[in-house]
Amino acid sequence: MKRAADLLALSWLVIIVGLAVFAPLIAPANPYHPIAEPLLSPREHFPLGTDGLGFDLWSRLLYGCRISPGASMLAALLTLSLGSLLGFAAAVSGGLIDRLISAVINAALSVPALLLAMLLVAGFGPGLTTVILAIGLGGAPAFARVVRTLSLQLMEKEYVYAAEALGGSRLHIAIRHLLPNAAGHIVSLATTHYAWAFMGVTTLTFLGLAGDPSLPDWGAILNNGRAFLIEAPWLVLAPGLAITLTILAIHRIGASFTEPKLPARIR
Amino acid sequence: MTQKIFKPLIILFCALILYACSGSKEANSIVYGLTLAPSGIDPHLNASAELGIPLSSVYDTLVFQDPASGEFVPGLAERWTISDDALTYTFYLRHDVTFHDGTPFNAEAVIANVEYTTNPDHHSFKAALMLGPLASVDKLDEYSVVFRLDEPYAPLLDALSQVYLGMASPLALETWGPSEYQFHQVGSGPYRFVEYVPNDHLTITRYDDYQWAPSIYDQEKASIDTIVFRFYEDSATRALALESGEVDVIGEVPHLDAARLDSGEDFELHPIAIPGQPLQFMFNTQRAPTDDVRVRQALIAAVDRPEIVATIFGAYSPVANAPLTAVTKGYTADSPFPDYDPERAVDLLDTAGWRDDDGDGIRSREDEPLQIQIVAPSWGLNSEVAQLLRAAWEKVGATVELEIAPGFGPLNEAQAAGEYHLIGINLFDSDPDLLRPFYTSDGFYNWSGFTDAELDGLLTQAAQATLDTELRWGLYAAAATRIRDQALLIPIRDYVNLVVTNNRLQGLHFSAQGWFPLLIDLKLAP
Amino acid sequence: MVSFTHRPETSALRTVVRRLLEGLITAWAAVSVTFFALRLAAGDPLSGLLSRGLATRAQIEALRLSLGYDAPLHLQYLRYLAGFIRGDLGVSLYTRRSVSQEILSQLPATLELALAGLLIAVVLGFVLGILSAWKEHHCAGKLSILLTGLATALPVTFTGILALYVLRSGYSYLPEGSVRPIQHLVLPALVLGFATAGGIARVVQAGLRDSMRKPYMLAVQARGIQSGLRYLWHALKPSLPPAISMCALQAAFLLSGTVITETIFARPGLGRLLIDSILDGDFPIAQGIVAVVAIFYTLSHIIADLLSFAIDPRLRRRA
Repeated sequence: MKRAADLLALSWLVIIVGLAVFAPLIAPANPYHPIAEPLLSPREHFPLGTDGLGFDLWSRLLYGCRISPGASMLAALLTLSLGSLLGFAAAVSGGLIDRLISAVINAALSVPALLLAMLLVAGFGPGLTTVILAIGLGGAPAFARVVRTLSLQLMEKEYVYAAEALGGSRLHIAIRHLLPNAAGHIVSLATTHYAWAFMGVTTLTFLGLAGDPSLPDWGAILNNGRAFLIEAPWLVLAPGLAITLTILAIHRIGASFTEPKLPARIR
Repeated sequence: MTQKIFKPLIILFCALILYACSGSKEANSIVYGLTLAPSGIDPHLNASAELGIPLSSVYDTLVFQDPASGEFVPGLAERWTISDDALTYTFYLRHDVTFHDGTPFNAEAVIANVEYTTNPDHHSFKAALMLGPLASVDKLDEYSVVFRLDEPYAPLLDALSQVYLGMASPLALETWGPSEYQFHQVGSGPYRFVEYVPNDHLTITRYDDYQWAPSIYDQEKASIDTIVFRFYEDSATRALALESGEVDVIGEVPHLDAARLDSGEDFELHPIAIPGQPLQFMFNTQRAPTDDVRVRQALIAAVDRPEIVATIFGAYSPVANAPLTAVTKGYTADSPFPDYDPERAVDLLDTAGWRDDDGDGIRSREDEPLQIQIVAPSWGLNSEVAQLLRAAWEKVGATVELEIAPGFGPLNEAQAAGEYHLIGINLFDSDPDLLRPFYTSDGFYNWSGFTDAELDGLLTQAAQATLDTELRWGLYAAAATRIRDQALLIPIRDYVNLVVTNNRLQGLHFSAQGWFPLLIDLKLAP
Repeated sequence: MVSFTHRPETSALRTVVRRLLEGLITAWAAVSVTFFALRLAAGDPLSGLLSRGLATRAQIEALRLSLGYDAPLHLQYLRYLAGFIRGDLGVSLYTRRSVSQEILSQLPATLELALAGLLIAVVLGFVLGILSAWKEHHCAGKLSILLTGLATALPVTFTGILALYVLRSGYSYLPEGSVRPIQHLVLPALVLGFATAGGIARVVQAGLRDSMRKPYMLAVQARGIQSGLRYLWHALKPSLPPAISMCALQAAFLLSGTVITETIFARPGLGRLLIDSILDGDFPIAQGIVAVVAIFYTLSHIIADLLSFAIDPRLRRRA
C-alpha cells in the first residue's frame, strides 16, 4: 500500500515538472490573454473553463507549474544552504561562535516563521522575488537548529574521535566525515521543508503579497477565484487541489526517506 | 469507548456555538457596510468619498443640492444673493439651528469653519481646494455672512453643498484641533457622531432635536436610532456580509454577487450612477511612444471597450465615452470616443512608423520596440481592466508592462517618477469643474502632462461662468471635444455603485454626489 | 531551551520564576528580531512618503527628526525597546496614529479566533492522535490516521474557502440567526483548528504508541487496569510533555493561520491590518503586529513548559 502511495507521489511530481518544462508547448492559450467569455464552466470550455477575465484556467495552471513549485524550490534551496551552513558552523566551531549563532537562531525562532517571512516582505516590498527571499530566510532558523543538533550528535560518534586522534583539523573532519553522514538526514529534512516552503509561498501569494495579481501562481489563482466562489467553484477547486496534491506528494516522498523499507517478499 | 473519546469534542463544539451566538443586534439599529477605511475621516481635511457616507448625515451644509434637478435649495442658509460680477455671495442664515453640543449656529460659526478648513497647517486635501479663489469670509451681522472671491467661481454653491464644507461646531473644532477632531465630530445634522474606532467601526445616533431638515429630505427627523458602520475592504466578502446578516446595507458589491442577491427575495439592488470622471487611464503625453497622438489614438482603437466592461462589470455599467460620466452636469454625448476598430489601430501604428518588420510579433521603430507601461491602482477593479488592456495591446504588437500601485501613496510615487505611459486615476464630483486640475497645464492632477492654451482657456472660462449655465455647459462640451481629439485618456466605464439592502430597510436614496445616502430617510420595514 | 546540568530537585516556585525570566529574555529577543529584520530589509522607512504629496522633502526631514529616524541604528533600537516596554510602539507612517492603539483595537478579535482555534486543535489533535495509536487496526483508528494526514497536507487557504462554500450553499438549511456566529467564529476556528491539529495528533500518536509498549504498562495491567480510560490515562501521561510542547510549537502555525482565516471569512483582526500595512509599506504597524504576536507565541511556550513541569516533576530538575 505504502509502495503504491510512494509511486503515485513520485509520478505526480514528475508530471508537474514535465508540465512545467513543456508548458509553452502544451498550453492552448496565453495565460495573460482572454480566450473566451469569462466564467465558462469546464463543460463549456475544455478542460477547466475560464476565469473572471476570460483567461483559460488550464493554461494558467500550467504556467503556474513553473512558478509555484519553482519559487518554493528556490526558497527551500536558500533555506537549505543558509540553514546547513549556520548549523554546521555552529556545531563544528563550538565555543563562542556556537553560542553566538545559537543565540541568533533561538531569537529568530521566537517569531513564528511565516510571520517573520511576512515582515521581511514588508521590508523588501511586495513581489515574487521578495516572497521567495522571505520564505527562504524565514525557514532558515528552524533548519539551522536541526542541522546543528544533528551535527552535534554525529560528532559524538567514534569515527570522529578516531579522526581527531589521527590529527585531522576540525574543518577537515567536518567535510570528510560529518557531511557524508549527515547528507541523508539533511536531504530528508530538506524534503519536508520543501513542503513547508511550498505552503508558505502559495500562502503569501494568496494573500496578495506577490504584487502582480495576473501572475499565474497557484496561490494567486486560488485567491482570484474567491470572488466567484458561488458562480464558478472550479476556479477554486482546481488550484486548491493542485496545491494540496503537491504538498501530499512532497510529504509522501519525505516520509519514504525516513521509513524503514521492507523487502518486497515479506509483505 | 471510542464514543467517550469523542465526548470532549462534542462538548467543545456546542460550547463554541453558544459562545459565538452571544451578542445580538438592537431592535432599532442597522449596520451599514463601508468599503474602505480612510486614513482620516475629518471631512474638512480628508478627501475620501467613503467618509461622506456616514458624515453627510452628521453635518448640514449652507445649501443643499436636489439630487433629481441639480438645483440648489436652502439649508443652513435660508437664502442667498450673488452679486452681478459673481464675486460676492451673501448668505442669510437660519436663526434656529444649534449644533449637537448646544453651541448656536451663526455667522461666526461659518467663519470658524472656513478658517479651520483653509488653515495651511491643517493640510486640507479637498475642502480647501473646493473653495477655489476664496479671498475672505466676513460677518455682516449675527446671521449673515459674505463670501468674497478673487475671481468668479461657478462651482462654489456646489462645493458648499457637500459634506466637506459641512458646518461643524466651532467649540469642538477649537477644543480638539485638527488631529483629534475626527474622533469627536460635532455637526448639526439629523444624526450625532458617537465614536470612531479606526478600521473597526463608526457609530452615529439620531439627533432628537433636529428641526431644520432641508427640502431634499423626505422626513423631518430620522427614524432609525443607531447606525453602525463597519469596513469591508475585500470585495469578495461584501456579499458574504449581507448574506450572513452582518450588515443591512453595503455598497460596491461585485456585479455577479449583486445580480445573484437581487434575483432572490431577501435583498434589493439599488444601482446608483455616480457623477464625476469615469474609470479611466490617462496617457503620458510627455513620453515616447505615447507622445505621438497617432499612437494614442491607435491604442484606443485597439481596445474593445464594451467587451472589457461587460467582462468585468457585467451589465450594470455603461461604457464611458467622454471625460465625464453621463450623469454629470456638463456632460455631452456629442463627441464620443471612437469605437473598437482594430484595422484603424494597425493603420495608425503603421503610419506613425511602428512596424513589425522582423516578424517577432512586436512592432518597432528605429530599433526601439513598442513598449507600454501601465500603472494601475489596486482598487475599483482598475487592475483587472489593465490586464485586459495589456492583452489587447499585445495583440497589436506592443510589449506591455503592468505595475499595480497598492495605495494612493504608491500611485502618486509612480506618477512622480514619470515611468508610465498610462496611469489610472479618477475623481468624483457633482460639478464638472473637477476636470480643471486634470486638463489644465498647471493642474494638480495633470498627469498626462498635456499643455494646451485652448484647453486651459476653455476650462478656466467655464470655471468662471457662474451666472450663465448654458455657456458653461457649452464650454465643457468644447473641452471634451478637444480632449477626445487629442486622445488624452482612454475612458472605460461610468461608475455605477451597486448598493444592496436587505428586507429590513426601506427608503434608501442618495445625494447629488451619488455616494452619500440620505440616512434621515431610512426606515425599518414594518 | 533546556540545559542539561543536573541539579537537586528545585521548588515549584523557583521553577516558575526561572521559566518566566527565560520567557522575558525570549520576548526581548522576539522584539529585537522584528526590529532588525525589518530595518535591514527595508532601508529607509520614510522613502515612501516623499512622493505621496503628503509631505515635502523638508517635511519628511522634519518627520525623520521627530520620529528619530536620523539617529544611528543602535540608538533607534534602544529607543524602540524603551518605548515598547512603556507600551509605545511608534506611530503609523500612513495615518500618524499610535500603533499600539491600532493593535489593541484589533487584538481581541484575533485572540478570540486564536484561542478558539487552539482549543479545537488541542482537543481534535488529542482525539485523532489517541485513536490513531490505540485503535490502530480499527476503523476509527484508520480514519484518524487518514484525517491526520489530510490535516497536515491541506492548506488552510483551501480548506477555508471550501468551508465557506459549504456554508454559503447551505444558508437555507441553517436556523435563523445562527449563520452569523457560525461564519464569524465557529467555521474559521474549525478550519484553523483542523489544520493545526495535524501536528499535535502526530506527536500524540507517536508518543502513545511508544509508551503503550513500555514495561510499566505491564505493571499497570497487573494492578488490574486492563483497558478503558484509566489505562489510557496511564499510557498517555508520559507522552504528554512532548505533546504539550508540540501544541506550543503549533501555536506558531495557528497564529500565522489567523491571518489567512481572517481574510477568507472577512473577520476583523490583526490579519487584515498586517496585510494592509505590508502592501502600504507602513513599517511600524507591521513590526508592531509581528512583535506582539511573537510575544503571545512566547507566552504559549511558557504555559506549555509550566504545564509539563506540573505533569512530570522530573523535568523541573533540568530547568
